[in-house]
Amino acid sequence: MKSIIKKAITTLLLFASATIHAEDFLIKNATVHTASSRGVLSNTDIYVSDGFIMQVAKNIKLKSKHTVIDANGKHVTPGLINASTQLGLVEIGAASSTVDYSTKNEQQGASFNIAPAINFRSTLMPQNRINGLTRAIVRPAGGTSIFHGQGAAIALLSNEQGLIREQLAQYASYGIAGANISGGSRASAYFILDKALEEANYLRHNRSQYKPGFDWHFSQSLQDLDALKAVLEKKIPLVISVHRSDDILQMIKLAKKHSVRLILAGASEAWLVANEIARAKIPVIMDPILNLPDSFESLANRLDAATILNEAGVKLVFTGIDWQSTHNGYLVRQSAGNAVAYGMPVEDAIKAMTTNTAEVFGIKNYGQIAVGMEADIVVWDGDPLELTTNADTVLIKGINQPMVSRATRLRDRYWDLKDIPNKAFIR
Amino acid sequence: MAITKSFYGRSLSVLVVICGLTACTPETEDKKETETKVRPFPSTYKPIASESFVIEHATVLTGTGRQLEDASVFVENGKIKVVGNNIYVPANTKRYDGNGKWVTPGIIDVHTHLGVYPSPGIESTQDGNEMTAPVTAEVWAEHSVWTQDPGMQLALAGGVTTFQVLPGSGNLIGGRGVTLKNVYARSVQAMKFPDAPHSLKMACGENPKRFYGSKGRAPSTRMGNVAGYRSAWIKAKAYRKEWDEYYESVGSKKEKDKPKRNLQLDTLAEVLRGNILVHNHCYRAEEMLIMIDIAKEFDYKISAFHHAIEAYKVADVLAKENICAAVWADWWGFKHEAFDHVRENAAMIENAKACAIIHSDSAIGIQHLNQEAAKAMAAGNKNGLSLEPKTAIAWITSNAAKAIGVSDKTGSLEENKMADMVIWSHNPFSIYAKAEKVFIDGALMYDRDDQNKQPVSDFDLGIIDPQGERL
Repeated sequence: MKSIIKKAITTLLLFASATIHAEDFLIKNATVHTASSRGVLSNTDIYVSDGFIMQVAKNIKLKSKHTVIDANGKHVTPGLINASTQLGLVEIGAASSTVDYSTKNEQQGASFNIAPAINFRSTLMPQNRINGLTRAIVRPAGGTSIFHGQGAAIALLSNEQGLIREQLAQYASYGIAGANISGGSRASAYFILDKALEEANYLRHNRSQYKPGFDWHFSQSLQDLDALKAVLEKKIPLVISVHRSDDILQMIKLAKKHSVRLILAGASEAWLVANEIARAKIPVIMDPILNLPDSFESLANRLDAATILNEAGVKLVFTGIDWQSTHNGYLVRQSAGNAVAYGMPVEDAIKAMTTNTAEVFGIKNYGQIAVGMEADIVVWDGDPLELTTNADTVLIKGINQPMVSRATRLRDRYWDLKDIPNKAFIR
Repeated sequence: MAITKSFYGRSLSVLVVICGLTACTPETEDKKETETKVRPFPSTYKPIASESFVIEHATVLTGTGRQLEDASVFVENGKIKVVGNNIYVPANTKRYDGNGKWVTPGIIDVHTHLGVYPSPGIESTQDGNEMTAPVTAEVWAEHSVWTQDPGMQLALAGGVTTFQVLPGSGNLIGGRGVTLKNVYARSVQAMKFPDAPHSLKMACGENPKRFYGSKGRAPSTRMGNVAGYRSAWIKAKAYRKEWDEYYESVGSKKEKDKPKRNLQLDTLAEVLRGNILVHNHCYRAEEMLIMIDIAKEFDYKISAFHHAIEAYKVADVLAKENICAAVWADWWGFKHEAFDHVRENAAMIENAKACAIIHSDSAIGIQHLNQEAAKAMAAGNKNGLSLEPKTAIAWITSNAAKAIGVSDKTGSLEENKMADMVIWSHNPFSIYAKAEKVFIDGALMYDRDDQNKQPVSDFDLGIIDPQGERL
């Protein structure tokens, strides 16, 4: 009983700590990848107070109470963000009772807002954050509609404070996935996307006519068309998964016609039409490690695609790694590292998993090591792109995160394989 | 290695004993070596002719636990001749400057579905899982391999010189796997690693029971899985006995009637004879220990557990039983049996002195096995171990060679081994490292600096641009 009470109190304190004022920190002597126009700063200090970055300079002297984090010989980056995850929407992929990222409800396409389903106490949150991922874009997956619904931005905190913004973007698919859900042809998929946007536009100007009890005839449910209003008003972007180069051009045309803010996702063959994408100022979400011609719409996939797009001036935001981008969302840095190995400048690759993502999705005060930013900071024990590097310290909104996950608990239990019967009593 | 030698050794020694007793003629000898023990679809692989060469001034990871600085590797007739410092090399030998570069054995992946689940993945190329019965020991992965899978050249660019193609894990016993050299060929036979044993793919856990359970047939539970393996082995044991007794009787006065052949039991009997190596997909600790007991019950050996997410929980047992654990660096959570992942898995297996392997099971992962090994090594070191590249390189070279029964031929840079090796631009445990030159049996099969030395599959020709290649 006593231990239960003790546990309850610690749990309360743990969650309380997230809402009370964060500690002050002084990170000393770091190599700072600012992800800003200041580039990389050597032997630099970062002062964090009240959850924000207050100062970034050499030899900061403080009079107020603070905790020093010695980062001599270490690297600092903004906490990483993965631009395409299902964090909080899945615990175990093959356990359907733990999966909330898609719906079979036919009334819910564009109106499917995943935010209420996010489980901030998921074991995936600590496993990702102790490895340097502090934020994520959480997206729905395809259900019965070509529109998948609305994503959210989160901080990887184990409580509801983690929700930064819901209804952040609308998701849809084109190409093979879009065709499959539309009857088997891209032409049908294009028709459905086009018609839905047209109807949503009509509806937003004539909404007062459509009251409960009225008989209406639209291609989508009324709530789905309502949900597209934010896309048409350019309040949120429309993220379309699309790969083939000519499919990409079709989507650019569609976005232009309906005047929506398009983001291309996946975009295996985007590099073939890099100039067109750059000219239309359309950002691309991609996983640079993907280079397989794994379908007939991804034939031109290649490891230097990110470099080609970057050089053409396309704004890149990274996800990865491969199909493990949720459970191992932190491995976006491995994908980014491969982009660098194939020609992308290091600091551009870091921007593609920090400030670019913040900018593209409209997340304020995050993504750079700069004064006024929320203190999402990772201290790495080496080059942040090297896989032999690990995170030493992770701050999220200025809160120092315990470097513990369910996986580290299992590791510690079995680190020494002696005295097995007593493992059950190791807490 | 005992397993490799027994591949021929065991059946031959039986033959010698029998002949000794019965003074058999060459004809009866033939009779004894045919039927169940014969190996159809033999390897027709021929190493590509190569000149002698030496790589000089390189950092060399031998795969045998050594790291040599400013060292040379001398290759002659496709074989490694000398590895060391200040070695003698005949005049006029071709020289590669290895200054600033690293040399390792060719990378080996013990778990891929290249060719049987090729790229592009479309309905007509799903050839890896014969999910029409839970035991399909009669099928051979090599009969599905599409040699023009463009994933093979991508793997080559990642330094992969040898890989084992396995059937999928939908079945309890999925069929025979095959070890291939990563070379262009019109036939799978011309890729088959000479004298490499076949493998038998077995699968524990969720996959078989989920698929067959959903069809309303056995197995639908893990206990059903175990009943399925044991029933198969009981039949195999009886079949083997029948044939062995027949072989023994050949040429004697009481020659027995020739038993009826059964393709499925041919494969299983060869496992019991020690000529086919068992590669067992198995995630959970308790299931691995059940499989070890089944192997003891029927007297066969498990070469490696694959996808062994919980190997760290039983690494001491794996060490004692001499079973390799092939793992991913960090995949987890896609199934319940993959929930107890730790990033230190390979490091903890190594630390328990068991045989650790990093495998891919992915046409992306196979291109970056060096990166996967780097993560697994660094995770262990972060928790207090001091693993070095010279040790961790074995996870993707010599330990892998051991598990697939070719460690007497490849997997390490030692005298008279096949000159399967990679020159890396950097330390291969760096994200920035790229395989610059990849040699198979001494032949330069891939050169990052020379487009004419970068193989192109039939599929890649003219697929995007009629006048060009895919990459």
